[in-house]
Amino acid sequence: MSSYHANHTMNSSMASTSEHYHPTSEHHHPTTSSGHNHGEGMMTMDMTFHFSYKNVPLLFYGLVINTPGEMAGAFVAVFFLAMFYEGLKIARESLLRKSQVSIRYNSMPVPGPNGTTLMETHKTVGQQMLSFPHLLQTVLHIIQVVVSYFLMLIFMTYNAYLCIAVAAGAGTGYFLFSWKKAVVVDITEHCH
Amino acid sequence: MMQMYFYFSDKVVLLFDFWNVRTPAGMVLSVLVVLLLAMLYEAIKISKTKLLRQTILAIPTTLSQESLREPETGSVNSNLGQQNTTSKRWFLYHISQSLLHVAQVVIGYLVMLVVMSYNTWIFLGVIVGSTLGYYLAYPVFTSR
Repeated sequence: MSSYHANHTMNSSMASTSEHYHPTSEHHHPTTSSGHNHGEGMMTMDMTFHFSYKNVPLLFYGLVINTPGEMAGAFVAVFFLAMFYEGLKIARESLLRKSQVSIRYNSMPVPGPNGTTLMETHKTVGQQMLSFPHLLQTVLHIIQVVVSYFLMLIFMTYNAYLCIAVAAGAGTGYFLFSWKKAVVVDITEHCH
Repeated sequence: MMQMYFYFSDKVVLLFDFWNVRTPAGMVLSVLVVLLLAMLYEAIKISKTKLLRQTILAIPTTLSQESLREPETGSVNSNLGQQNTTSKRWFLYHISQSLLHVAQVVIGYLVMLVVMSYNTWIFLGVIVGSTLGYYLAYPVFTSR
C-alpha cells in the first residue's frame, strides 16, 4: 500500500523503522509479505504529532481513515464523543447530588434520655448498594470509563486532527453542560 | 521504535518531531519541561475549583441584594443594570472556566503521551512535577 510509505516519509522520526518495513505489503494480508516482522493486524505507531488523513487506524479493526471526507466524519464523531463524555460526567455529578439531597433530609427527632428531643441525622453519604440511583450510577460509570479510554486511545494515535477534535469536543461539552451544573452548585450552596 | 517497558536512556522523541532528545543535557532540559508541564496541570486543576468558589462567593451577594431590593419598586433601572453585570460576569467566568478546562484536558493528554515514551527519567519528572504542583498549588491558590 503506497499510503503507508507516504505516511512514513512524512515522519522523519520513523525513518529507522520504515527501512525494514516492506512498503508494498498490505496489512490485511500479512502472510504475503516476506520481510514483515510485525504481528498480525499490528500497525506501526507514529510517536509524534502529525497532520494526515491517510491510513489512520481508529480504535477498531476495520475502521481505517483513508480520505479527507472520512477524516471529517471521524472528526465530527470524535467531537461529539468528547462532548458526550463531558455531559456524562456532569450529569453523573448532578444525579449524585440529587440523590444525596434526598438522603440528607433523613433527619428525625428521637426522644432523648431526659425527656428532650434529639435530632438524629443519618448522614449516610454512601447509598444503599441495591438501590436504583446506585445501580444507575454504576452503569453510567462503566460507560464513562469506556468512553474515557476510547478518547485516550484516539488521542494516542498522535493524529493532530483527532486530537483537536477531542480537545474541542471537551471544551464545547464543558461550556454547554457545566452551565447547568454551575447553577445547581449555586443553588445548593445558597441553602446553607 | 516504540518501547513497551521502562528504560533508562538519554535518547527519546517526545510528542513532536522537533523534540528529539539525544544528549544528557537535552534530557535534563526535557525532564524540567515535563516537570513544569505536570506542575501546570495541577495548578490548572486547583485554580478551576478556586475560580468556581470565588465566583460563587461574588455572585450570590449581588443576587441577594437584588431580592432584598425588589419590594421597593423604583430602582428598576439599576436593578436591570446590576443583573446585566452579574450575568456578564457569569459569562466571563464561564468562558474562562471552559478555556481552563480545555487546557487541562490537553495538558493531561500530553502528560499521558509523554509518560507513554516509557523513558524512566521523563516518568520521574512527571511524578515529581505532579507532586510539587499539588504540594505548592494548593496553598498558593487558596491563600490568595
